[in-house]
Amino acid sequence: MKPRAGLGAVFSRTALTLYVIVMLIWLLFPIVLVLLASFQGKLEVDFSLAGLNLEAYKAIPPAYWQAFWFTVRAAVSATALAIVIAVPAAWAMVRGRLRGRRVLSNVVLIPDVVPQLIMGIALLTVFIPLHLSNNFAGILLALVALSLSTGLRFSEALLEGLPEEYEQAALSLGASRLKSFLLVTIPLIAPGIAIAALFIFMQNLVTFELLFFVAGPNATPISVRLFSDIVDRGVIPYAVAMAGILVYVAMAFYTLVAVTLGPKYMAGSVMSRKG
Amino acid sequence: MADTTSQSVTIRGVEKNFGSFKAVTDFNLEVAAGEFVTFLGPSGCGKSTTLKMLSGLLPQDKGEILFGERRIDMLPANQRNVGLVFQNYALFPHMTVAENIAFGLSMRRWSKPRKQQRVAELLSLVRLEGLENRKPEQLSGGQQQRVAVARALAFNPDLVLLDEPLSNLDAKLREQVRLDLRDIQKHARQTTVFVTHDQVEALVMSDRIVLMNAGRIEQIGTPVELYAAPLTEFGARFVGANNLVPATLHGDASDPRAIVDGVDGTLALTSMSEQLNEGAGAPIWLCVRPEHIFLTAYETMPAGGEVRQFNARVVDKVYQGTSVLIDLEVEKLGRVRAERPTMAAAELQAGQQTSIAFSSCHAVPRRR
Repeated sequence: MKPRAGLGAVFSRTALTLYVIVMLIWLLFPIVLVLLASFQGKLEVDFSLAGLNLEAYKAIPPAYWQAFWFTVRAAVSATALAIVIAVPAAWAMVRGRLRGRRVLSNVVLIPDVVPQLIMGIALLTVFIPLHLSNNFAGILLALVALSLSTGLRFSEALLEGLPEEYEQAALSLGASRLKSFLLVTIPLIAPGIAIAALFIFMQNLVTFELLFFVAGPNATPISVRLFSDIVDRGVIPYAVAMAGILVYVAMAFYTLVAVTLGPKYMAGSVMSRKG
Repeated sequence: MADTTSQSVTIRGVEKNFGSFKAVTDFNLEVAAGEFVTFLGPSGCGKSTTLKMLSGLLPQDKGEILFGERRIDMLPANQRNVGLVFQNYALFPHMTVAENIAFGLSMRRWSKPRKQQRVAELLSLVRLEGLENRKPEQLSGGQQQRVAVARALAFNPDLVLLDEPLSNLDAKLREQVRLDLRDIQKHARQTTVFVTHDQVEALVMSDRIVLMNAGRIEQIGTPVELYAAPLTEFGARFVGANNLVPATLHGDASDPRAIVDGVDGTLALTSMSEQLNEGAGAPIWLCVRPEHIFLTAYETMPAGGEVRQFNARVVDKVYQGTSVLIDLEVEKLGRVRAERPTMAAAELQAGQQTSIAFSSCHAVPRRR
């Protein structure tokens, strides 16, 4: 094979490599820039390693950490709730062969398609009379609303990809529907569900527009806090450092999932599990 | 092997429609305890639908199903005590071999020592000792298949259903597993229904075969009956590649004879089936198996019966090891297939003229 590779093949391989590199730079450049800025304590980054320091990180005020942990709590709870609601619902939709199921699965996507800005305004008008704005419960509900469509979409795809024979086999062996769901279905889609949870969590951690409307001084997610500080005082170094921390959290979670589940699950191969 | 609780199975007037499509109509069958019955038929004939109804995964529209004296057709799948082996085995990939086999036992709340003992029994029955801690993906196709069988047998089911369990195996393995499966079933004296579209599998494995076509039973009989005396044209064509020679019935019941259409003289019919009670003049098929078509230019026919000889042209010759398949264009008969020992047909070439013959004792009359 190798000696036969002509000039054309070499050229196209080089072009392909270049293409991938350009794409990676395009994707990673802004992130790298933020990280550099956070270590240099200024926005006009240079590419010298001499000026690296942790000053900006040390300067992060307690209010930021408060907002950060508040967001983590809300994001984790919302993710857990969304998964607990979405998986059984998706199971009912897929295995129950509900009438008009196609319509239904598209309807649940609407929150994903409608701009979050509009969702936020809508939630605010509902939340104010219910006293749900400016508190943890309100933030949590807003995040659950946002997470459900992702959760449903993931679970639906996972269950569609799981041959029904596994559940039928469990039934024929004497398992109740609940037992077959808990002992067979859940363990088999668990890796996929973990990835879904990861994506939902990360989305919840950094979502901004939606929360901007229902947040308040008593309930400030980190994204809203960063936004209002930057609007008020310009791009301050410790805000950039906080942004850096969000990037680390994202990378840590992604790595965690990759390591615990193995790289084969990262490419979505759970969908095509061998029958 | 431990005592079995295997039951007889009675199916009465079972029917299933999908919209206006009649998947299964008027299905009646008695399966004796310990019997191995095969549903044989082309895809879409309703055999898998019937199997699903027996398992409880699909409710029937009409009719009743009994295990022994007990009516079970209103029970859901998980209360029927039926062992089911899927075409793709459906072994739980997140469980070990032992956990897979013990699943049905756990659902029945067997004690741990009892479970362990039963799993060990089954592992030795399907000859997989030492593999109990493997995951299904670490097993070969044949081994996975045996785990699936062990899992279905473990809880002493009233009935075991096998849904084309050999179709995912390669040809060589299939032959061996076929016999293994038969062996295991005999050993366990387990009432079994097997579904296949492969007539060889059906003939090799079954006590009785239920031949199905278009949602109906065409014939129920032993493999020998089905092969040697197909009741219908469908049966004759589907089981073994029969040659069907158009003929007309002649003579009476004391001396049944047939006239091959377009050929002078009558042929004595030695095997007159009871089902064929048409009178003289009725159009019939004479079924002649490929292995009973002789090449008169190269071999001498064994004595017996009246022989009819025809001129033929060789259309194609397919080598398959110990035998060859020969497609012939035969004067007055049309397309005929012969299967001869490779030695007998060594000199035969495609395109050449030759002569063939069959004996009346190999011509089985069927309704046309």
